[in-house]
Amino acid sequence: MVRLIRSSLARIFLALMVFVALTPILWTILGAFKRLKDIVTPVPKLFFSPTLENFVTILQNPSIRQGLGHSVIVVGASVIIGALLGVPAAYSLARHVRTLKGDLQFFVLSLRFMPPVAIAIPFIVLYLDLGLYDTLAGLILVYLVTTISTVIWLSVPAFERVPKEIEEAAAMEGCGPGEIFLKFSLPIAMPSLFGALVFTFVLVWNELLLALTLAAGNATLPVVAASITSLGKEVPWGVINASTVILVIPPLVFIGLLMSFINGMMKPARR
Amino acid sequence: MANIRCVNIRKSYGGHSVIENLNLDIADHEFVVFLGPSGCGKSTMLRMIAGLEDITGGTVSIGDRDVTHLHPGERGVAMVFQSYALYPHMTVEENIAFGLRRQKVPQAEIARRVQHVAGLLGLESFLQRKPKNLSGGQQQRVAMARAMIKTPKLFLFDEPLSNLDAKLRERLRTEIRKMHLDLKTTTIFVTHDQLEAMTIADRIVLMRAGAIEQQGTPSEIFDRPATRFVADFIGSPAMNFRGCVVSRDGGSVSLVAGSIRLEVPASEFDGLQHGAKVEVGLRPSKMDLAAEGDLNAISGKIILVENMGSEAQVIVDVDGQEMSFVTKAFRTLEPGQPVSFSIEPASIHVFSKETGRSLRKAG
Repeated sequence: MVRLIRSSLARIFLALMVFVALTPILWTILGAFKRLKDIVTPVPKLFFSPTLENFVTILQNPSIRQGLGHSVIVVGASVIIGALLGVPAAYSLARHVRTLKGDLQFFVLSLRFMPPVAIAIPFIVLYLDLGLYDTLAGLILVYLVTTISTVIWLSVPAFERVPKEIEEAAAMEGCGPGEIFLKFSLPIAMPSLFGALVFTFVLVWNELLLALTLAAGNATLPVVAASITSLGKEVPWGVINASTVILVIPPLVFIGLLMSFINGMMKPARR
Repeated sequence: MANIRCVNIRKSYGGHSVIENLNLDIADHEFVVFLGPSGCGKSTMLRMIAGLEDITGGTVSIGDRDVTHLHPGERGVAMVFQSYALYPHMTVEENIAFGLRRQKVPQAEIARRVQHVAGLLGLESFLQRKPKNLSGGQQQRVAMARAMIKTPKLFLFDEPLSNLDAKLRERLRTEIRKMHLDLKTTTIFVTHDQLEAMTIADRIVLMRAGAIEQQGTPSEIFDRPATRFVADFIGSPAMNFRGCVVSRDGGSVSLVAGSIRLEVPASEFDGLQHGAKVEVGLRPSKMDLAAEGDLNAISGKIILVENMGSEAQVIVDVDGQEMSFVTKAFRTLEPGQPVSFSIEPASIHVFSKETGRSLRKAG
């Protein structure tokens, strides 16, 4: 009896937590389909006649369409370059660096210690001189600091989990270090590496401050979304909700695609 | 096929030396087992021969070719690991054929050889599976197939059976031995299991703290242990040890400890002066219940009878210390009974207290 009560209490608590976590998201999605008069009512409305007006407004707005394009280019380039440079670096750290390994890893992590503001202001000065201010290339360059260090930090343990004997067995078959990395360590660590890449993607996709200070003219999506909130006195809640939904879709699609890709590939071998 | 020669092998990590001037010759077709407790350097030795570990000093040659500084892939050796080390992202067939595909062997030839080794090891029906869908024994068979298909000059096994359960271990042990009889490839097998070593080896190399303690056929190691360490390490149940004093009385030599008095032929031993302190080793399996008037009988009180099926280990209190012997006639023995058991003089081992070396004369 006591156990029954305890387990049902646990379930209720769990349900409550889920409710707290999901309600704001659900409310945002609902809000995206509401007219303003349905939103700003004293009594919240659960039933209303849905409209696509907000989405039409958003998608007809050239700055949003442009922002989406900029985001895809900037985030795509910085994640891909970050992976191309960070993953091999992580592998070398995990397997071939003995002395200073801890120090190097800490240095990489320390790149994430500094608040973005502290980077932003010196970069404005540098970029103005270099002609990179307000360019996508400049923004990609700054994001690379984030992506490379995050990819390295998260990939080192992924490679450390690859059993050393497998690499040794490959060496016994005559494979050199490069071949061992490409044909064995990389595919075996791949599921964990994807996790690292998704995390890195989300990190820069949502980045606002550096984008705002370094490339306000070539605004990315978070910058555009932020600017909508200051459109005027009458806050267009429906439009904001709709833009939030649009902002969230690409990472969700990306993660979903990756998940199915990972499931299609091998899972880590059982020992 | 090849003989192996290791000359003055040294290995140190930083300043810490683990193997010091080790010399070893292995003849063509020989099945050699490196045996020893963990940390004795046996795996390190194997990995140096494989090329997975740098050699600090000395040379290794395989088939009269100096391979000391060659890449593992160029030494013509194949290795089976304790953890199997199968490639988890490839099927069994791809695992086995990887080495040949890499060497651009023609497809038809590869298919023929994969079928052949898969047939030998009973893997035909698993070829399209991934390693994670196989049991431990099947995985180790795949690892063996992957090693065999390369037709190497030398097989290396690094504790390949340690992760398997007892029954499977026995079966694979027999299979490895049979495989060696067929292929006659020179083989080095590392284990810490003395029974495994005894059953499988042509020659056992028993290592301790980075040096060879004794090498010889299983019978030599079992019957004529060179040191107390070897005597203690080999054999189950473990050997009984007693500190004894030598008593010379005319022509006969006796080893005395409390009520124990063992008579040994003086001509077979060195350094048995009157009054010398020595350590005597008695194998439980070489002792049995004493008949009336038996020489070298030891008496005590039974503490415990451990039934092992066809025979039993009897643990006996002799002068306050435990000793054990093995007998088939154990059904009537009960704890608390007095008992008397004896050993033949030829099976008595005498070791120096100081050096631990056997005092039995060579030959």
